[in-house]
Amino acid sequence: MKNSNEKLNEALKVISEPQDSKLVTYLNSCVHCGLCAESCLYYLATKDEQYIPAYKVDLISSIYRRYCTFTGKHFPKLTGARLLDEAMTDEMTDQLFGSCTLCGRCTKHCSIGIDIAYLVREGRKMLSKMDIVPAALQSTVNAALNSGNNMSIPEEEFRDTLSWMGDELKDEVNDPQASIPLNVPDVNILYTLNPREPKFFPLSISAMAKIFYAAKESWTISTFMYDVTNYAYFTSNDDEARIIVQRLYDEVLKLNAKRCVLAECGHGSRVFRWEGPNYIQKAFPFDVITSVELLAEYISNGRIKLDKERNKELVTLHDPCNLVREGGVIDQQRYILKHAVSNFVEMNPFGTENFCCGGGGGQLAMSEYNERRMKIAEVKADQIRKTRASIVVTPCHNCVDQLMQIDNKFKLGVQIKTLAEIVADAIILE
Amino acid sequence: MTLYKTISLVSFLICFIILTFHFLRLIRLGSPKDYSHKKGNLKAAISYSFTGAMNPLRKESAYLHLPTYTAGILYHSGTFISFALYLLLLFNISFTNSIQWILVCFLAASSLSGLGIFVKRIALKKLRHLSNPDDYISNLLVTVFQIFTLIVLVKDTSPYYFLFVSLLFLYLPIGKLKHSLYYFSARYHLGFFYGWRGIWPLKSRGHIK
Repeated sequence: MKNSNEKLNEALKVISEPQDSKLVTYLNSCVHCGLCAESCLYYLATKDEQYIPAYKVDLISSIYRRYCTFTGKHFPKLTGARLLDEAMTDEMTDQLFGSCTLCGRCTKHCSIGIDIAYLVREGRKMLSKMDIVPAALQSTVNAALNSGNNMSIPEEEFRDTLSWMGDELKDEVNDPQASIPLNVPDVNILYTLNPREPKFFPLSISAMAKIFYAAKESWTISTFMYDVTNYAYFTSNDDEARIIVQRLYDEVLKLNAKRCVLAECGHGSRVFRWEGPNYIQKAFPFDVITSVELLAEYISNGRIKLDKERNKELVTLHDPCNLVREGGVIDQQRYILKHAVSNFVEMNPFGTENFCCGGGGGQLAMSEYNERRMKIAEVKADQIRKTRASIVVTPCHNCVDQLMQIDNKFKLGVQIKTLAEIVADAIILE
Repeated sequence: MTLYKTISLVSFLICFIILTFHFLRLIRLGSPKDYSHKKGNLKAAISYSFTGAMNPLRKESAYLHLPTYTAGILYHSGTFISFALYLLLLFNISFTNSIQWILVCFLAASSLSGLGIFVKRIALKKLRHLSNPDDYISNLLVTVFQIFTLIVLVKDTSPYYFLFVSLLFLYLPIGKLKHSLYYFSARYHLGFFYGWRGIWPLKSRGHIK
């Protein structure tokens, strides 16, 4: 066990021993212009100045100034340099964990170009080094580390659910040979899941299975490691994030799959595809894509055929921040919807400009901040209401959960669907 | 060279050496090593980071705050011009009357913009909440620098001017004014990040008109 001084030193090392020039750059760049305020959901919904992204940046950079700069060490009041004491950690916890969804919208609009979401994660990393992580969020990470999935679903229960979904698939496609293949080696695709799917939304698994069936894909799901999520990214505990990434990496290699396809999960796809190789410090020897890209690929090369007249209701799209603004999957979901639905309307703003649903950054797992999370959700509710759509499609299960709560709280009367579900509804089986 | 000019030149050299130290540290630390498979065009994205991404039509911090954005552009342009003029004044290079008055008019506008930004920082609660003494001092120093430059163009007050510039040069690398260096590094890193993942350069603005 480390004592509090050792923990403090570990936390300070995050900023005093940077691995590259990125962190030093951003810690020295903010000019406190405050023009990022309107890019943040928290500020927009509350008009409270403590939620201005630049203020969150300043919490971290003020510590940097205090411990790592001449001016901050000798004239702390001049530059607003602050000690990393209990008051500071309390404020950081509330601001960096409780008031940021890591959506990165402020980053895009920062007048200087500071990756504010990255800095917030570095701040969370400092707290994590001091073992200051909201309990519910850490328990989600612990569940993944101890059981292999963040909902601690026992393997038997998981197998039962998939067997049930396999039976549903047989009925739906009217083929007794149709199945959900488990742990099959040497396939094209190892498909991952968000544990919310087997736990709460199993129909999204059967929807994807139907698509794989129609595309005549060679695929499998691992019963050992199928969890696409990585909540250690939200706690910024790199060691724990590394363990989770390594497990999936090892499973792809063990099953000798050519591709790892990441289920509809914003942060999960971002973490494994973009951050994962950096956590384990090596490039992946296999292909990693999101299911959104795979669906677009199936449509464009004719492996699946869709009848958009089967989805006649007005549909709008919610862009998950980690998949779109931070992950670069921007056009594919629109291409899919163009082929899968007959009435589509964009939210305003959309794409890389879209507002977070409010559930990102681990907010859904932090019950401490539920009230705040639903307060900021009014921005998204307003966006949805203005589209007049009756279906909101989003390729992210965390967003699905938050959007369902938004629908319930703000009485929007909309249906929330994943992209796979809307595609499965439109698919023509030959 | 007069004593005042010499003092300012020494201050300039100190400032330059400290900023060079900052710059060399950035070079030594280097860019983050990214093991993920690159999807985009880094050169195009980094170039976009300094150009298209700064387009006020694409930047919420600009199009939602056009008066502040315009003032900021004028203010920063005035700062660059004032630094250039300092070097010219150091070597007694003079201008024709018309160029001199164009510069005076521009510096009047830019220093007024600087004052406007200063007043805004004092007047708005949300900016006061964000600000520390360095923010006010830096803003004021640069604004007065521009005013001094304007005055020295029409009236020879060079001793005071060069002493003030010395003060500015000594303060620049220890406060937030060093963003004059880090700004470029920040834009580079942001372009690298979005470029690696194929997000920048952006095709759509993401707004329905």
